[in-house]
Amino acid sequence: MPVATGEHLYGMVIDVDKCTGCGACSVACMSENNIGTLPDETDKIRSITWLRVYQIDNGRPYPDTEVAFFPRPCMHCGGSWGGFFQQDADPEGHHTPCVSVCPATATDYDDETGIVSQIPTRCIGCRYCVAACPYHARYFNWYDVPWPGGLEQSLSPYVAPRMRGVVEKCTFCYHRYQQARDKEFAGGEFGEMDYQTACTEACPSGAITFGDLNNPEHQVSKLLRQRHKHAFRLLERLGTNPKVYYMTKREWVRKRADNYLPGEKIHRFAVGS
Amino acid sequence: MDWDRRAFVKFAVGGVTGLHLSPLVWKLMDDVSIWTQNWSWVPNPADGALAKANSFNPATGTAVKVRLINSRIIPKDAYNPDGKAPRTRAIRVEGNPEYPLGLGIGGVVPQDASALQNAYLGDVRVKAPMVLDKTTGVYKEISWGAAIDMVAGKLAQLKKADQAQRVVAFGDNPDNTTGQILKAFMAAYGSPNLAFAPRAEDTLALAAGLMLSQPEIGFDLLGAKYILSLGTPLLEGFGAPVAVRAAFTKWRQGGAKLVQVEDRASVTASQAAKWVACAPGSQGVLALAMCQVLLAKGLAAEGSLNGLDDFKALVDSKFTPKAAAHATGLKPVAIEALAVEFGQAKQAVAVCGPGPGNEPGRLGDFMAVLALNALKGNLGKPGGVVVRGALPLKPLAAPAGASAAGLKGAARYAGHSNPLTMAAAALAGDPYKPKMAIIAGANPAYRGPQAGTFAKMLRQVPFVVAISSYLDESATLADLLLPAGTFLESWGDAVTPYGQAQASYGLHKPLLKIQPKSKAVGDALLMLAAKLGGEVAAALPYKSMAEALKARLGDGFKKVAEKGWWVQEKVSYGFNGSVDLQAATIAKSLGHQAASHGHSLTLAAVPSLRTCNNSEPITPHMIKILTDDTLRFKDQTVVEINPETAKHLHLHDGDLVTVDSTEGGFQARVKFFAGARPGMLYMPVGLGHTAFGFYRRGRGGNYNAVAKAEADAVTGLPVWGLTPVHVRKV
Repeated sequence: MPVATGEHLYGMVIDVDKCTGCGACSVACMSENNIGTLPDETDKIRSITWLRVYQIDNGRPYPDTEVAFFPRPCMHCGGSWGGFFQQDADPEGHHTPCVSVCPATATDYDDETGIVSQIPTRCIGCRYCVAACPYHARYFNWYDVPWPGGLEQSLSPYVAPRMRGVVEKCTFCYHRYQQARDKEFAGGEFGEMDYQTACTEACPSGAITFGDLNNPEHQVSKLLRQRHKHAFRLLERLGTNPKVYYMTKREWVRKRADNYLPGEKIHRFAVGS
Repeated sequence: MDWDRRAFVKFAVGGVTGLHLSPLVWKLMDDVSIWTQNWSWVPNPADGALAKANSFNPATGTAVKVRLINSRIIPKDAYNPDGKAPRTRAIRVEGNPEYPLGLGIGGVVPQDASALQNAYLGDVRVKAPMVLDKTTGVYKEISWGAAIDMVAGKLAQLKKADQAQRVVAFGDNPDNTTGQILKAFMAAYGSPNLAFAPRAEDTLALAAGLMLSQPEIGFDLLGAKYILSLGTPLLEGFGAPVAVRAAFTKWRQGGAKLVQVEDRASVTASQAAKWVACAPGSQGVLALAMCQVLLAKGLAAEGSLNGLDDFKALVDSKFTPKAAAHATGLKPVAIEALAVEFGQAKQAVAVCGPGPGNEPGRLGDFMAVLALNALKGNLGKPGGVVVRGALPLKPLAAPAGASAAGLKGAARYAGHSNPLTMAAAALAGDPYKPKMAIIAGANPAYRGPQAGTFAKMLRQVPFVVAISSYLDESATLADLLLPAGTFLESWGDAVTPYGQAQASYGLHKPLLKIQPKSKAVGDALLMLAAKLGGEVAAALPYKSMAEALKARLGDGFKKVAEKGWWVQEKVSYGFNGSVDLQAATIAKSLGHQAASHGHSLTLAAVPSLRTCNNSEPITPHMIKILTDDTLRFKDQTVVEINPETAKHLHLHDGDLVTVDSTEGGFQARVKFFAGARPGMLYMPVGLGHTAFGFYRRGRGGNYNAVAKAEADAVTGLPVWGLTPVHVRKV
């Protein structure tokens, strides 16, 4: 049974060939979602970055070396839904990895939007979801975040700061969806640009596109239709069915998106087939 | 009563029921949860009405919108015990999609997106005028009036003793209004010792002034179809990063070809259609060799170029592809092929710019690139080198008599406008030692060239005044601190970023009162001028920075202040000036190559928008987005090295090494990176602060403090791109 039965199916397309790894998306996300800074952020295992920009390289010697970047938000895995344009159920019956392990219903798959939610006040801090997520997109608050010297003045009222002992992750700026719905309820229109994530807005190269995959008029759908040959997702073979698509013309970048054996051919999933 | 089974069950059930009816269980459970979890304070951001205000970040050249919340309730909590927090606060800085040079994308760079952290982090802000008690080493708060009296008194005293030249000043940008005020101030006061942070703008203006008689030129990146970037960090901080990225997006969509000439597999090199891995610092030689090919193969544009014969003689004798092969490390055929491709490409432009450490670059390199453009015949053409229009600004009013008298005073003494020679001369007391230093909105003790030398000079000057937003490296050496506002709190402006084809202007206005006692740097200087009176007050007849900006912008002020920016409507094509190829100057500047003096490796900088290297410091959020390797070993500096070079030096990935240069030594961990050029060592630039509190202090090393600066053979401007070093395993 297809998981996304609702009206919307929000997803993202990231053009790796346009990404210059500046990190504007990541910092814009932090300021939008009240992500704090620990006194020592050199420890990347315990540093919280909802959208992390990974640097990869092609592993070739000088002067054939090339680097590229994978900005990685939460993939909002759809589980048993075969991918864009492929509405058949996944015969193996995969599911959203984090949702299925949460004992406290602190994370859930929203059928209306396709967004994997995270409710920190419900979280009991067991970290099963952190272990289950193959993308390392979930972060545990190991410490209390300090807000020294007036720094808390810059916090946004739209997202609650989290306490120590709970898990947090990218929510596709769900509060912005709620704001857009509020606007619609008050008689306004709910257009494509009314709900955009902070990272999408911040990218100075326009490498990130966000929208409703169910809506053929939205830029994300158009991009996936037009450039389906260049589109792929991270660790596709796990069957997690992410809603974050990447695009590149470079074969080596595509190969880095999954764990391939030496000489193994790239497994092309049916994106837009 | 018998104590039988029934009685026991009754007793147990009754006991448990009774216990649960009493508050004891709940009280204990509550206590246990409180004492075992001990939740600390989690802020509760106050909600309120939302507004957006236009502004402009002068450090990055980004037009931004600031989201402001007018709080309904001000929570009283641990950090705001008296409930006196300001009602209006900013919650976010985002891009301005209306800014034409951002092509409607409305993007930002990390520094913009986290600008609020710098503004709000009170621990590292200068909050009030403070004077250092030299006996105790403690700063004591004083009033603005008392502070201005103190500085004006000392200035008047020195002037009276005919020692005005012993006042040295350092500013950030000479072209913005603050810089203009500082220039007028020092000229009227009578000291020639005024330096600004060296920039590639200066080198480009000199090169263009010499060759094209037009100092204000730019590269038409939006119109270009073939972009040859000669060693510039095009995607890592060139010009206004947001505008350059918008152009990059256009190239991607329109199929323009980007060719990057660089020694390291940088972001730009990786995103380019072709990476030409050329030896560091040899881009000028490569440009000249390409000129030679264009001339030899008849691909050069027809037209009158002055000094063509001399230029031809120069490139034919010293810069043939064969002769350039050694310096550039490229094969002659590769140079030829590149030159032919460039010569045949339509709407092609060769771009020169700041070096990776944001240093101004060598004049010869810039002139060679301009010569290449001139031979390509793209001057004034779409996608070529264009002359920028004028900014809608009037110069600062300078009453003829007063400023002339001041300038005459200044011209009487030998002075330095170059920070490198200024610090060296001051330390040597040649011909005099400074008695007072004014640091106006800059941080020369952290930024290049030779940050360490400048800091040493500041320690020796008896009275240092710092007008600064932050307790930065320079401010912590000051005797008197004056609080400056950030761009969110004060009036200020920014002029066209480096190499931009269209002239642009940014204006920021006070939106918030984060540090209520802070003033714009320009305001502090104007107050000082008014107090000094005489020539200085006459040269600067403005009551405030806002008034100075209003006078400069005239009728346009209101509109620009509302929007936050002004941009030249269209790129002005057409070039009717004459071109002088100036072969002798090019030969002189390029003839002097830094010798390695038997050092084993060469140290160079890695620029990045994640670390930033401009007038504003890295923010705490930016420490979070550093790549995994940048601070892999906690706070230790990590230097990149090619695995092959490491093998020769018997080094393994992660080894601790000592890196020694003539500027001193530092310890670092080596990181293998195949994209590092063999024989080179690469270090991130923008880290290693010794100030700025626990988030930023001591994270990595400061490239600007270890890089060796040399003077350009022609301009004398400092160049600190390449430092010869020895590497030793610890």
